[in-house]
Amino acid sequence: MFSLEGITNTVHEWLNNHFSPTLALLTEFVLVGVAAIALFALLGLGLVWMERKVAAVMQIRLGPNRVGPKGIFQTTADTLKLIMKEGLTPDGADKFLFNLAPYIVMIVAMLILAPIAFAKNFQIWDINIGVLYLSAVSSLSVIGVLMAGWASNNKYSLLGAMRSGAQIVSYELSAGLSVISIVVMTGSLSINDIILSQQNGWWIFKGHIPAFISFVIFIIAVTAETNRAPFDLAEAESELTAGFHTEYSGMKFALFFLAEYINIFIVCAIGATLFFGGWMPLHIGHWEGFNHVMDYIPSSIWFFGKTIGLIFLIMWFRWTFPRLRIDQLLNLEWKYLLPISMFNLILMTIVAIMGWHF
Amino acid sequence: MNAIIFSALAGVVMMFSGIFTKNTSIITNVARVALAVLIAVNLLDTYGGWMIAVDTKNLLSFNKFGFFFNTILFVATFLFFVLSGRDIEKVGSYTAEYYALIFFSLCGIAVLTSFNNLLMMFLGVEIMSIPLYILTGADKKNLKSNEASLKYFLMGSFSTGIMLMGITLVYGATGNFNLPPISSAVTGAVVSDSIIGPLGLLLIFVSLCFKVSAAPFHFWTPDVYDGAPSVFTSFMATIIKAAGFFAFIKLFEERSSDLRVSWKIIMPVIIIATLLAGNITAVFQQSVKRMLAYSSIAQAGFMLFVVYANNNSIGKEGILLYAAAYSLATIGIFAILIRMKDYTFNGYNGLAKKEPFIAAVNTILLLSLAGIPLTAGFFAKYYMLAAAINAGGKSVLWLVVIAVLFAAVSVYYYFRVIQAMYFKEGDAEVENVNNRFKFGLLIIAALIISIGILPSVLLNWFYF
Amino acid sequence: MSAIQILFWFLSGLALVSAIMVLISKNPVHSVLWLVMVFFAISGHYILMNAQFLAIVNLIVYAGAIMVLFLFVIMLMNLDKTSDPQKNWWMKLAGVISGGCLLMEMATLVRQAAEMKEKTVMMKEGSIGLIGNLGKLLFSDYVVPFEISSVLFLSAMVGAVVIGKKN
Repeated sequence: MFSLEGITNTVHEWLNNHFSPTLALLTEFVLVGVAAIALFALLGLGLVWMERKVAAVMQIRLGPNRVGPKGIFQTTADTLKLIMKEGLTPDGADKFLFNLAPYIVMIVAMLILAPIAFAKNFQIWDINIGVLYLSAVSSLSVIGVLMAGWASNNKYSLLGAMRSGAQIVSYELSAGLSVISIVVMTGSLSINDIILSQQNGWWIFKGHIPAFISFVIFIIAVTAETNRAPFDLAEAESELTAGFHTEYSGMKFALFFLAEYINIFIVCAIGATLFFGGWMPLHIGHWEGFNHVMDYIPSSIWFFGKTIGLIFLIMWFRWTFPRLRIDQLLNLEWKYLLPISMFNLILMTIVAIMGWHF
Repeated sequence: MNAIIFSALAGVVMMFSGIFTKNTSIITNVARVALAVLIAVNLLDTYGGWMIAVDTKNLLSFNKFGFFFNTILFVATFLFFVLSGRDIEKVGSYTAEYYALIFFSLCGIAVLTSFNNLLMMFLGVEIMSIPLYILTGADKKNLKSNEASLKYFLMGSFSTGIMLMGITLVYGATGNFNLPPISSAVTGAVVSDSIIGPLGLLLIFVSLCFKVSAAPFHFWTPDVYDGAPSVFTSFMATIIKAAGFFAFIKLFEERSSDLRVSWKIIMPVIIIATLLAGNITAVFQQSVKRMLAYSSIAQAGFMLFVVYANNNSIGKEGILLYAAAYSLATIGIFAILIRMKDYTFNGYNGLAKKEPFIAAVNTILLLSLAGIPLTAGFFAKYYMLAAAINAGGKSVLWLVVIAVLFAAVSVYYYFRVIQAMYFKEGDAEVENVNNRFKFGLLIIAALIISIGILPSVLLNWFYF
Repeated sequence: MSAIQILFWFLSGLALVSAIMVLISKNPVHSVLWLVMVFFAISGHYILMNAQFLAIVNLIVYAGAIMVLFLFVIMLMNLDKTSDPQKNWWMKLAGVISGGCLLMEMATLVRQAAEMKEKTVMMKEGSIGLIGNLGKLLFSDYVVPFEISSVLFLSAMVGAVVIGKKN
């Protein structure tokens, strides 16, 4: 049976047999880094293509179809174009911050990758406060965005960055609360423990209605946090041209673009992990035979399948809901989502204490 | 514990009262009732009556001194509500919230009178001061009020930072936040040459000096007191300041020895500086409100004597008397000041002819602040000085003499108001004087004089 | 020098340099960004002391929330370099002297302190900083201050509404 765990173990053993432990460790660091960057590149290419194809399907048209079969190399071509373009720095810009910002956004996206479990026993760092780590690091991307918007010396950029910042900071609260409601059920902050606790069913099924409510809130909040439509005020084309990255071009623009898709992937991966068991196959209570059959599907397939399913959901939003106004957006968070998620958390705590979940 | 819980609850009740009614006089009456209940539960606490059993893990320790101090401050607040309730309603459109903030502040005071742990002291100081930053800026349209609020907030945060640094150092030296072990661990033989603990205490000392506006740290006081809406100045200058002193005493009553020799040098310097800064500057003021701000600094100088004397019973009795005398008199004077049309000295011209009763009460209260015999202020000042002599013997006689000289200076600027009221022609205008207001003033004047004649009445209560 | 010591010195140096840069940066936005660096360095120190929860909370609260608000305000105010009020030269000198005195005093006092010489911070040991233990302590021994601090936050919230709401 195919498993990523087998590959890593083989590599680990081979390295340790042939080199000293320190060198092996260093090599592993490098390998992890290379793998992460490769994953980023692949995800970026894949997700952009997916977005365009999904949009095309929603609008009953073909979408990219010239470069490669079904236009699959379209994004590769686009990326090559962007790499070859000149990276301009506006005249009145704060040069240092302007050039630093895309890297900060990128680095933050990479850091969030650390505690995510891609498959059974396939995780870069099983930190014991994984969930908190996720929300801490993801809140840092705001700084990169604000930096980019301010350093551009452009009012559209600044306004876009402000909107984006306000949005991320406020929606982070309800995203955090819905994450915590799963933590309440599990009793652990470690990603690995959360996944293992879903061995006899995913939380979205086991946690009754509160879990479902927190899933809905989570998905709304992360859509807003990643500045996706219908919450894409930060880059509302009709108002702000392109938002905080108006002034960026070439590779730096590509980095922002990439980071956006990476962030979508990451939040969907978190959602899949918390509510749909991550790499845990679909298990139902005591149906031993069924569970056994499900185990034959490799865990990495489960993880990526669920994540891509959620990504599809978020892309679907984009073509379904009209864009909100900024005051509607903030009202939605502070007057509806936040109180609901607080009450939901209390409900969840009661469920957890009384042991009403399965 | 009753007082802490009920004042917090009363704050919440006040917040909600704003939802149910827009009628501000109902809100004011709710606040008065809530405060009366608060006084009642605190009295119950004092006499071991009904007490919500909370295991505070020795973070809070309740004693009679603290309860009694609570009672005095709550009663002063009650009189403040009775006299100035109407004026609180006029400050802005958030009457219910203002009362809520005042109750939260009282909750902080209740924590401060019972803390047994530096953590609780920090919490108490913060709960007490944060509502004040808001109340100072309550008059949102007034730039002076905004400025005062911002100034107070920035300076207050800075002093809180210093306090936290001090607490951290004390923690570093002793390994815990509890009060009693600090001195034993620091002065004990084991780590006798430790310097970190005293350094931390010194920083906490500086921060508390800020809170009570003692001299080198008093610069915020006039601006804040002047800029804040007058009703809230009245609250800040009296009840809050007295509570700050209580925290001061409680923290240092057994710990001044940790600062060893320096205590006997630092304290007199601060006392003299405070008296000097307060009294001399007050002489030159043209606005009565600003004069009262400086006079509150001067009065703080007197209250510092009890910190200097630390831990003797005369001092404890003295601070109770002082808190009562000073708070009552200042609340009364402010209540009159708020209703004056003109806040300058000239605004008081000829008040005696127009409103003889109010002028008479104002005179009594001013005399009490100046420390003239037969008023509460005299005994308050007397106890302070007696406490210092009791603690330091003849070596502090010079300090006492200086204090008396400054008290004489203070007579000058208090008498300027009296002179304006009685001996100058003019048409001072007082607004909205009704019988309830006069009755409230009468009670305050009666309390001041009765404490002034028989201070033992108040003090005996303390021992029973 | 072990890896932990190298990390410790690196983080301390980073924290100090960033803190100094906060003060000497001409541009307030740069100052805030340097301050974020300080918080990162401090969080690193917490992790070295095995207080992961504190480290993360430090990041969430300070770097993620408070500093973002700082950036918001400063960026919207659009302060430029020239609007920095020039202080009197004598005031600056007085500030430097008095601040320097305090620093010197504290430095000498801390140097003299006997008990500091043996005691160093516990690195990578102790479990008090882990979230489970912290939570248990917070809800048993320190439950009273924990609950009372809710009054503090409530009053701050009421205040924020009073100040912020339009009449």
